[in-house]
Formats: sequence, C-alpha cells, structure tokens
Amino acid sequence: MRHYIKVELLRMLRNKRYVIFVVAFPVGFYLLYSNLWGSESDQATGLRGSVLLMVSMAAYGALAAAMMSTAVPWSQERHSGWLRQLQITPLPGRAIILTKLVSSLLLVLPSLLLVGLAAVLTQHVSLSPVRWVELILAMWAGTIPFAALGLAIGSLLPPDTAQPVAMIGMFGLALLGGLWFPESMMPAAMKSIAHVTPSYDYARIGWRIAAGETPHTADAAGILVWGVALVALALVAYRRATVRA
Amino acid sequence: MNAIAFTDVTKRYGDVLAVDGLDLEVPAGATVALLGPNGAGKSTSINMLLGLLRPSSGEIRVFGEPPETAVANGEIGAMLQEGALIPELTVAETVDFVRRLYPRPLPLEEILRLADLTELARRRADRLSGGQTQRVRFALAIAGGPRLLLLDEPTAAMDVESRRTFWDNMRAYAARGRTILFATHYLEEADENADRVVVIARGRVVADGSAAEIKAGVAGQAVSFLLGEQPVAGLDALPGTTGVELQGGRVTLRTTDLDATVAALYRKTTLDIRDLQLHGADLEDAFLALTKEA
Repeated sequence: MRHYIKVELLRMLRNKRYVIFVVAFPVGFYLLYSNLWGSESDQATGLRGSVLLMVSMAAYGALAAAMMSTAVPWSQERHSGWLRQLQITPLPGRAIILTKLVSSLLLVLPSLLLVGLAAVLTQHVSLSPVRWVELILAMWAGTIPFAALGLAIGSLLPPDTAQPVAMIGMFGLALLGGLWFPESMMPAAMKSIAHVTPSYDYARIGWRIAAGETPHTADAAGILVWGVALVALALVAYRRATVRA
Repeated sequence: MNAIAFTDVTKRYGDVLAVDGLDLEVPAGATVALLGPNGAGKSTSINMLLGLLRPSSGEIRVFGEPPETAVANGEIGAMLQEGALIPELTVAETVDFVRRLYPRPLPLEEILRLADLTELARRRADRLSGGQTQRVRFALAIAGGPRLLLLDEPTAAMDVESRRTFWDNMRAYAARGRTILFATHYLEEADENADRVVVIARGRVVADGSAAEIKAGVAGQAVSFLLGEQPVAGLDALPGTTGVELQGGRVTLRTTDLDATVAALYRKTTLDIRDLQLHGADLEDAFLALTKEA
C-alpha cells in the first residue's frame, strides 16, 4: 500500500489541473490580496490582513486539494476500468479507499505549507512555533470531511457530472466559508447557510488559532459532525460503487 | 488438477439468462479458446471466474478454490475488454505498481520484454496508441506471474500486425505451463492459438474439442445444384444429409459426409444435375451451424 500511495501522489503532482487550482491559485491569490490588504486589520478577529488571508487562502487551497484529488480522478477510475484492473489483483478493496483518503490528505500539504511560506517570506508573518504546529495540524485534520465529500462524489457520479459538481462544491464551500470575503459582508440568507457549512467552521478554527485563541467548541463540534457524516457517506457510496453483482 | 471448473453455473440479469447451466473443466496447462458470438456469455463467464460477478446458481472453482480466493492469492491475471490506464503514469511505473500487488511477480524487465514494451517503458500512458495500450494491459495481466491467464477478446482493437505479435507473446507465456483461457469471436484465432475450442452460444457449451473435431462434428459441408422443376422429395434421405433448402430453383443439401452424399446423388437418383457446387466445411461454417442450432 505504501507503493500505491506513492503512485497516487506522483500522478496528482503531474496533473496540471491539480497543480494550477491547488498549488498555484492559493499562493497567487495570497500574494495579490496580501499586497492589497495585508496591513489592514480585521475587526471581527482582530487579525492583521496578512495573517487572516494566509489562513483563508491556505484553507481554500487545502479544501480544493482535498476535493480535486478525489472526486474526478476517482470517478474516472471507476468508469475507465482502472478500478476493475485493481479489483482483479490481490489488492483488498478497503485498501483502495484508504489509499485514496491518505493520498488526498498528503496532497493537501503543499497548499498549506506553500501559502504559509509565502506569508512568512513576503509579509513577514510570524507566529510562535507551537502556534504554527497547532495551526497546520488543525487545518490538515480539518480537510478530512472535504476529502470524504470528494470521494463520495466520485463514487456516486459519472465523470462528466462529478467534474461540475466537485467544482461547484469546492467554490461554493470556499465562498460560504468566508474564504473569499468575510462572512460579515454576506446578505442574511447567505449568512445563515454559511453558518452550517463545514468550511465556515474550518476557517474559523484556523483564524482563532492564528489569533492565539482557543477554537470555539461549536466550530470544532460542527466540523466533527460533518466529518463523521461525510466519512460515513463516502464509505456507503464506496461500497455501493464496488459491490459485486 | 483443473485450473477452471464450472459446475452447472447460471447467471441471470433480471429476465435475461446470460449463462445457462454451464459445465466446463479446463485442466492446468491447457490453452483454451472460448468461442461464441456477441452476447453468448463469454464475458459474463470470465467476469465470474474473476469474482467480479457472482453466479446466480452453480459453483465455480479456480485451482480448487473460489474465484475471490484465487484472485486474492494472485493466481489469476486478466485482460478485460475495457480498461484505461492512469494517464499521468509511465508504462514502467504502471506495470511496476501492479506487479508489486502480487505475492510472486515476474521481474519488471521480463514483463516488459514479454509484452514488447521495453522501448516504451518511459512513455506516459496518455501518449500511447491503442495497440500500445493493449500491450500494456497484457503486461498488467501477466505482471503477477499468474498460473491462470484470462483474456477477453484481447485483440479487438489491434491491426493485423499487432495481432500476430500479440499471439506470439501469449504463446511465449503459455509455454511455461500456464493455463490460458481466451474469449474471441474470431474463429481463426481460436483455431491457430488454442489446443481446444469451446463453442458457447446463449450461455451453453454447444461444442467442445480441437478445431478439427469441431469441423468434423457438424453439418458444415454442403452440396448445391440447380434443381429446376424437378421434385425435391427423397433428397433428405440421401446418406449423410442433414438438411435440404430450396431457393429459386437451387437446392442445397447440408451433409456430414460430402463424398457419400454426392455419390448417392448420381447413383441413386435420376435427377438431371446441373451447376453442381461443393462447399467444404471451415470453422466459420461449423461455428455458424453450431450457434444457430442453439
């Protein structure tokens, strides 16, 4: 299975779409936005713009990586016959979904780390080492629900539908989570939807850690519930997709 | 020991009976062609051998074990009808990945050589032609050094030249005492590459033997001539005759013994026979006759 994970990572790193959306976009937007608003201070969190944007763009990159590395590739593998190719080898079925999940989590790291690096190098963001570790670990673990969502989409939909659904899901979650613009600017109806999305909880946990505070229990609980629900959905969908008639 | 044993296997999709009481045993080391028209149940049978489909009733054993166990133990390699590769991986990376999933794989260089891929080892899968992709899929099928190799219409997408090379490669693999079952609807392929031909139609075995035995066993031969206004009665009683067809004044007698039928036609009838034509049996006729009867 270690070799399988290696192969999965290799192929995604060679995938242009992954590299553009997941690695280049968040870093590029961070550089752009932090130059515009980096020195302003956010009223809701009290964070400097450069730090707030670092968390937002890292969150967007991580969310995108988790979904882009799962939904469409997995759906394509099911439909192209690659899954069958694997099913007739001694590889156990559960190893396939587990590998997908682990690889997806590893593929999240480049966006998290590169955005952080860009923040340190260009905006001189500095946090204590402990805070960096907490921030990165929390933002890393927090992508599990999104990877699970991607896998569920890949299991349930054919590639030509999975593609737009994953895109809409990814941008929708980023938007509603307040990653592109603050939730305080949203109209009331959108705000109430935003509050129940996992990306909203995810970003808030990140901002609070970056601000040196303890994340709210409600946010942690929110993402935990989403995580359990989406992982369960992903497993059920995977079983359905690989069932032997 | 039998590499493959189907015992009264049935597979039903709703109202459609894809495989209907199939009994088939293939001893280890044999190369067997599963010959039949589209929809005969060839792919369904192969997918059941791989545990991808479960029989509705009956029992399948691969080297004495259920298919799932044989697959998990790395005993089976297969080339299915459809199967794309991962576009971003090279040929060598793909083959190496799959071979490492097996407990007793062949060395990478040997697999690449057996599938004629040595030159293409570093090419990415999305830059391969259709025929080259098929060769990679063959390489994946043999990567684990399986004792049983299943090929489901392996040459469907190949041109004549790649087809020849493909069968040479397959024979090289078979020469090591491995068992091979391949599905085809090309009669020539079955004739040239298998020790034994199993003809299936509508989910049942309709003939089983060497290509020569199958040709001999059916009324694939025929004699035809212009009958005109003369009576057709009595022709069906001629030695060897199995069927009489009359069309536009020309009568065709299907026969299992062409010589006897023709001799009797001249000696035992008083018919005025004009424009006599003989049709020898080839495997094509045998195949059509067999699958039609079923």
